[in-house]
Amino acid sequence: MAEPLLRVENLSTRFFTEEGQVNAVEGVSFEVEQGEVFGIVGESGSGKSVTALSLVDLVESPGRVTDGSVWFRKPDLAERIREDDPEAATEAVDGEMVDIRQLDENERRALRGTDFAMIFQDPTSSFNPSITVGTQIAEAVEVQRRAEANPRTLRSRTQGFGLMKFLTTSMVPTVDYVSEESRERAVELLDTVGIPDPAERATEYPYQFSGGMLQRAMIAQALASEPSVLVADEPTTALDVTIQAQILNTMADLQEEYGMTTVLITHNLGVIARMCDQVGVMYAGELVERGTLGDLFERPTHPYTKGLLGSSPSLEDATKRLQPIEGNVPSLLDEEMEDRCYFADRCPKAMEDCLQDPPEFDADGSQHHRAKCYLADHGYESALPEGYFDE
Amino acid sequence: MQYGRFLLRRVVHSVFVIWGAATVVFMLRFLTPGDPVTALAPPDAGDEVRAALERRLGLDDPIHIQYFDYITDLMVGDFGKSMEVLDRSVLDWIFWTRFLRSVELAISATVVAIVIAIPLGVISARRRHTVSDYSATLFSLGGISTPNFWLGLMLILLIAVPVGFIPTGTPGPLLHEAVGDLLAGDPGTLGDWLRFMLLPAITLGTYFTALLTRLTRSGMLEEIGKAYVKATRAKGLPETLTMYRHVLRNTLIPIVTILGLQLGTLIGGAIITETVFEWNGLGQLLIERINARDWTMIQGIVIIIAIGFVTINTIVDLLYAYLDPRVMDE
Amino acid sequence: MISDRVKASLKREFYQSRAAQVGLALVVIITLMAVFAPMIAPHDPTTQRVGTGDTAELTDLPPISPVPGHEFVGTREQSIVNETTGEFRNVQVEVPANASHPLGTNERGQDILSRVIYGARVSMLVGILGAALAAIVGVPYGLVAGYFGGRLDDGLMRIGDVMLAFPSLVLAIALIGVFRDSGFHTTDLPDPFVAAAQADAIPNILIPRSGHVATMPEATTFPVTVTLVVALVNWVWFARIARGEALSIRAEEYVTAARGLGASNTTILRQHILPNAITPIIVLATIQVAFIILLEASLSFLGFSGTNLTWGADIQQGRNGLSSGKWWVSTMPGLAIVLAVVGVNLLGDWLRDALDPGIQGESGGV
Repeated sequence: MAEPLLRVENLSTRFFTEEGQVNAVEGVSFEVEQGEVFGIVGESGSGKSVTALSLVDLVESPGRVTDGSVWFRKPDLAERIREDDPEAATEAVDGEMVDIRQLDENERRALRGTDFAMIFQDPTSSFNPSITVGTQIAEAVEVQRRAEANPRTLRSRTQGFGLMKFLTTSMVPTVDYVSEESRERAVELLDTVGIPDPAERATEYPYQFSGGMLQRAMIAQALASEPSVLVADEPTTALDVTIQAQILNTMADLQEEYGMTTVLITHNLGVIARMCDQVGVMYAGELVERGTLGDLFERPTHPYTKGLLGSSPSLEDATKRLQPIEGNVPSLLDEEMEDRCYFADRCPKAMEDCLQDPPEFDADGSQHHRAKCYLADHGYESALPEGYFDE
Repeated sequence: MQYGRFLLRRVVHSVFVIWGAATVVFMLRFLTPGDPVTALAPPDAGDEVRAALERRLGLDDPIHIQYFDYITDLMVGDFGKSMEVLDRSVLDWIFWTRFLRSVELAISATVVAIVIAIPLGVISARRRHTVSDYSATLFSLGGISTPNFWLGLMLILLIAVPVGFIPTGTPGPLLHEAVGDLLAGDPGTLGDWLRFMLLPAITLGTYFTALLTRLTRSGMLEEIGKAYVKATRAKGLPETLTMYRHVLRNTLIPIVTILGLQLGTLIGGAIITETVFEWNGLGQLLIERINARDWTMIQGIVIIIAIGFVTINTIVDLLYAYLDPRVMDE
Repeated sequence: MISDRVKASLKREFYQSRAAQVGLALVVIITLMAVFAPMIAPHDPTTQRVGTGDTAELTDLPPISPVPGHEFVGTREQSIVNETTGEFRNVQVEVPANASHPLGTNERGQDILSRVIYGARVSMLVGILGAALAAIVGVPYGLVAGYFGGRLDDGLMRIGDVMLAFPSLVLAIALIGVFRDSGFHTTDLPDPFVAAAQADAIPNILIPRSGHVATMPEATTFPVTVTLVVALVNWVWFARIARGEALSIRAEEYVTAARGLGASNTTILRQHILPNAITPIIVLATIQVAFIILLEASLSFLGFSGTNLTWGADIQQGRNGLSSGKWWVSTMPGLAIVLAVVGVNLLGDWLRDALDPGIQGESGGV
């Protein structure tokens, strides 16, 4: 089998706050094939957004990616590292795959906006309010153009744009970082994502856009770089339901057209069912179950996955009562986390084994189907007494 | 189109404010205790002399006529005549050089402030919790806490006296003279201008520099935390560009308005600085006329300062709306 | 009016911030200095020791050096008589520091340390009273404007805009020019400690050094006009902040709910709007105290405050000596101003960080 495009191994992200260490992402592993959509679903606070940010290296202080690897298939970069620094290559390069986490900061930044692009949850706060939408998208195009023109020198992207340049561009608007070609491309992109009258709208400011239109603009901005991997963090959550459907349609069309590989973060199972090929379920910072769409929806193994499915309304069987999952999402504070299956206290099938941290087991179904649950290993046996965790 | 409407509204508003300011200034005279005629007339003056003086000062009319005359005179640029030296008009006394001296001082101080403060604030915010950040913070705390007249005296004590050149007393040349001489091939005048300008500009500019540093630092820190910065980084824009094109720009937009209002402090500071350095400007004249209890002159100077201040603020607001069109929607 | 959560946040911020601790210490020290001036000051700050003979020895004394071996030396002009010709001649004599005047004396022989201590009284009193007065006028004005909105708001805020058309120092100077000839320009505030010590009203044990206290000035000259004028010049800032707060709070659901329950406008303003608007107002008030101390110093430097016993006036007084080597007369009161204002500003920063009322930094201050 060919190498996947993206292979995440044992990724951990921690936040070092005043209250203590927060384990937002813990030992997450998954693979995404070229052209596929990998969905990550979970409740709020389960660490899925932090996972997304960790992939593109945008976790900010007090948070830090502490462990793990993000392998990305990029043959030319792998080749270059082997040539430049054979010693580092033994660690950071594996065939055509490169471990992004081991690259230096400039190299990592260089991947953003060229190979990786991101769509954020709230489009209104993710655009700079005082610059026109067209210019902001054109910036993304410009980054890509400069990177293509000079793939090896990162400095070309800045081209001496320091304080002096800032002052001159503020006073002489014609001297600008963004070229005319990039602006034209930005208008084309706005057209691609279905914004009517794109040339006119490109000159408008974010506050003149509706939420849905702005999210389209953000998708256009992400497409600007023709990214290999698109990370979409709850792209429809902040929108009205009708708009959500439109945005999802747009995304699905573009996905088909560009053949992008997408990591889609959402708490909405409907979105997962509509968009994804592979799915991972996140709980308390861990990916508790992953597999193909069919694996998870038809053969869920982890009781949490079952619970999620049971708590979502379904059109086919509208009469069915929803089954909420009892209890609350656990605290992610390191000192409050015991070394056990974090779901055990809410799990209807908690067993004595669950008092130890479960490894990932192969589960029934496709070869991709894996679950962090002893139920995947053996049956339901030696149940914990009721009320065990009530203390 | 939209901007035109905003501009019109803003200009109408500032005309209203200037009218209000003129009314306040007009009323100042009626709050003053004592009768100006008694103060001015010779002690042995008869009723006839007193009446003539009253007529001359325009005090024999009913108050609403006086007010009407005052406002209409202002509208045609007539700021009245000195009460002490009756033949001398306000504008005549202020004359161009005094005005220019004050303006030059204020602009130099602003330039000093902007050139120092913005880079300092940016460095401070980007290298948070480093030695440079702490020094900048300490400097700005000291700067906003130091009275500028004392700072001026300390500069004289620590710099001017040891160097042997105290830039007080004889006022230096004006900038346009200096530039004229420079073009004619004589850089000496410009050197003189600088020697006279340096300490007063630092004195007046320090408070402003400190304030601007603080504002830039806290504004940058607030702005860096916003979601769009993360989005900008995500699209691969280099860090310098993210900082200058997005963060600093957005930080400076609200600072522009604050600075407009703070210009009042600068003008007030200029009065004090002029006193310390015996700088022959508008502020020095105001103090002198107050001590002479020359009410029409005081009114004239105050209203001229107010008009200048309001005009600058209006320009700043218009600039703000140009940089950030959202404010026009209010 | 201040919730437990706010108190906890104040406390946490205070323990974490060295700056807040320094600020509080400075403000407490200077306030204590102002209140207990007669007990702390080593000499009567107003006593002049001019003329010839013994007392002349006490003019123009330099301060004591903090570094041993590097003593400050002042100079004084002295007339000496030539015994044979009987002619007078002026010579510069060197003057050593004198331990009973640690910060030196001015050309009138007044003790600078005592003057600095007494100067704190006017500065702190004008600063606090001026800010309080400005708040008392400005806050209700702004709350009413913001709460009722519409025409009333437009009208009231236009008046505020007119006030802002004048730079504060210019307006203050002009107003003082108007009012300083009136009878209430200054008033003498009797000093309760001195009065008690002189009258032997309370057992002397309660007043430390009561013999010393009894010789201190019986009253402090308090500049009434200056206090009124700084309040008049600064109330608009309070009005603006209060209006902004009222404007946003009146749209909150609990206000709508209270109105639905039939609460009167006064009740709503008092019970809902004011308590929720109070934090930014407190922060502004702190910044204003700092600003008013500076403003008062400027006015007394220009000679407009009507009293000589202030830091600003002392700086003015020492100005002439700067070029003849008598640097300490202006320097000491200036340092006192800087310390006081730094202290208040640090307190303001602490309050702002702890309460985070979202006012735009120092914008409301000046």
